[in-house]
Amino acid sequence: MSAHTMSMRDALYEAPGPRTKRLTVIGTIVSLALVCVGLALVVRQFYVTGQLDAKYWAFFARPTTWLYLLNGFVGTVKVAAMAAVISLVLGVLLMLARTSGIKPLAFVARVIIDFFRGVPSLLLIYFFYLGLPTVGIRMSPFWMITIPVALAASGVLAEVFRAGVNAVPKGQTEAALSIGLTPGKTMFKIVLPQALRIVIPSLISQLVVVVKDTTVAYVVSYPDLMQNGRVLITTNDAVVSVYLVTAVIYILVNYAINQLSISMARRSGNPIISRTTENPT
Amino acid sequence: MDFAQILEEYGQNYATAIMQTLSMTALCFCLAMVISILITVMRVSPIKPLRLVGDLYVQIFRNIPGVALLVLVAYALPNIQIVLPWKTCVEVTVVLLASAFGSENFMTGINAIGVGQIEAARSIGLTFTQTMRKIVIPQALRSAVLPMTNLLIATMLTTALGSQVPLNPQELTGLVSYITTRSTGAGIVPFIISAVCYAGMSVLLGVLGNRIDKKVRVLR
Amino acid sequence: MADQTPVIELRHVDKHYGDLHVLQDINLTVHKGEVLVLIGPSGSGKSTLCRTINRLETIDSGEILIEGEPLPQEGKALAQMRAEIGMVFQSFNLFAHKTILQNVTLGPIEVLGIPKAEAASRAMELLRRVGVDAQAAKVPAQLSGGQQQRVAIARSLAMQPKAMLFDEPTSALDPEMINEVLEVMVELAREGMTMVVVTHEMNFARRVSNRVVFMADGQIVEENTPDEFFDHPKTARARDFLDSIKGH
Repeated sequence: MSAHTMSMRDALYEAPGPRTKRLTVIGTIVSLALVCVGLALVVRQFYVTGQLDAKYWAFFARPTTWLYLLNGFVGTVKVAAMAAVISLVLGVLLMLARTSGIKPLAFVARVIIDFFRGVPSLLLIYFFYLGLPTVGIRMSPFWMITIPVALAASGVLAEVFRAGVNAVPKGQTEAALSIGLTPGKTMFKIVLPQALRIVIPSLISQLVVVVKDTTVAYVVSYPDLMQNGRVLITTNDAVVSVYLVTAVIYILVNYAINQLSISMARRSGNPIISRTTENPT
Repeated sequence: MDFAQILEEYGQNYATAIMQTLSMTALCFCLAMVISILITVMRVSPIKPLRLVGDLYVQIFRNIPGVALLVLVAYALPNIQIVLPWKTCVEVTVVLLASAFGSENFMTGINAIGVGQIEAARSIGLTFTQTMRKIVIPQALRSAVLPMTNLLIATMLTTALGSQVPLNPQELTGLVSYITTRSTGAGIVPFIISAVCYAGMSVLLGVLGNRIDKKVRVLR
Repeated sequence: MADQTPVIELRHVDKHYGDLHVLQDINLTVHKGEVLVLIGPSGSGKSTLCRTINRLETIDSGEILIEGEPLPQEGKALAQMRAEIGMVFQSFNLFAHKTILQNVTLGPIEVLGIPKAEAASRAMELLRRVGVDAQAAKVPAQLSGGQQQRVAIARSLAMQPKAMLFDEPTSALDPEMINEVLEVMVELAREGMTMVVVTHEMNFARRVSNRVVFMADGQIVEENTPDEFFDHPKTARARDFLDSIKGH
């Protein structure tokens, strides 16, 4: 039935009568005009301040510019991928500890999870960049950005995994125990593999958070997309165009990741668990 | 330097930094709520261009990294003759980011209501306005409590972007980098103090949000 | 029992979903106090027909009249008309954030402008009638399906409707709860409520209805008194349909 397949925002309105149709048409025309005026004002502002001059955009026609940005993007991918792997492992470990049933261990895991979820990733990065060297721990820029980003993600991932484990039907555990599997084996052979499948869309959507967190790599002078963008700015003396292009690249990449996560969630029927859907504490 | 020495020397700075973080969080969150309501109204309106603008707004600001947006506001805008004070730059950035997520939370709340209740409201003779006022908005607001609590916490963490511009006074993250560069012997203690402040406030807000949610949650 | 005043009239009603012709030249009149049962295989258009009567579904052409007046297309007039025609849904559709009592009083207070206290006492009376007055302070999710559906009926009744539409009211219920809902409906019919009922409950159709309308592929195939229809169906399609459900 058509009424039940339409999206909720369409369902708020019923099929319009003649008056409503007229009002909608008028509203559409007026709002379209407003949007056009707004866009024109923005373009005008760019024009009168000279930001549309060829010198700010011409270097984007050079392949070297894109090669340099691509280099930076590869750096971003490296950091994000490594941070993702580390945070996956840490997330699973923290989740296992939290659900272990061993009280002190569960408590410690919970404190760690709450800590990493409750602290800005920027502070963690400064800790690795400024704090640790003062006590004699030095590492390369790559690890100074990768580890804090991974730690920040691990707290949320632990909770995502926990939600995944909870979503595995209780009967699975009972069945596994009843055929004589130990609790440990039940977890690793039966529950965890199913939980992993459930949380795959959520893990992909968490990748967006990781990619976003890597953008402060310039703090530790690691050449990621943002950092290379900043270099382009100084070499070409073009702030607006470069920052805009970089921002658009990030938006497109994250949009693609989000869409992938949504389509996988839709196909598998598993919801996307994120920090907004689970309980905050 | 140990804990006592740091507090002795920088205690006052920490107090003002906490106030800076909290006041920015409060202001940004309130503005973000107002804007996310506006954006949500646009997104659920029957007028196509408004929907499109609302959807685009959300896709842009939920996918752009905070720093990428901050540099645009703080360093690119002056080039088109829009110069904002540093603090405003941070606040504008945080509000844009948070409002996109806020609108997503409201949309999720609206989607959870289901077509059936809307049809039931119509069938007992409620007008569109009454249906919105009595059925849709109350339920959307109630189911938004938990996600909005998380958004409030995320908003607080996002104000750490303030460390990327010269703020005066500094917020909790900026202060740490200030202390560490100023007193070379400060070690890791300044980080721990700031981190505990953040984490403590996060947990506190979380507990509060959970309590409210339990009271108003809509059973389904 | 049924007199000859028409309450609901459909004249040459047509409707398409894309290529699908879901309602084809439907002509139907429901008289005051009549209980009309719509039956037919799924996808026959019977639910759609029921939903067009209070414009939850629009029609492409034709006319729908309520007490001789054309069905308004929008605005206050449409809301007003809907308030006069009750509707009970397959999935109950109670307001999830309101208590059972508030579900029943919302319409009277907001639409009819009845004072709160009066609305509440009348709502309690109705809840007693359908047997769920003990649950008045609970929220819908705490009730069984059968109880929720009886509340939904009370919610419709609170508007003092001229007629009531039932869109497969027992299809979403567990078997043991079907009767408690049907009993309420039988009681309503006995009191002379004008009813249009889309249902698969053949016993109900036979016992309670004045007229059975059999639909298939968007058309009214057969229309008859329940005894005639069930004992001597005139068309092959109706016979096939009745045979297919006897198999259960």
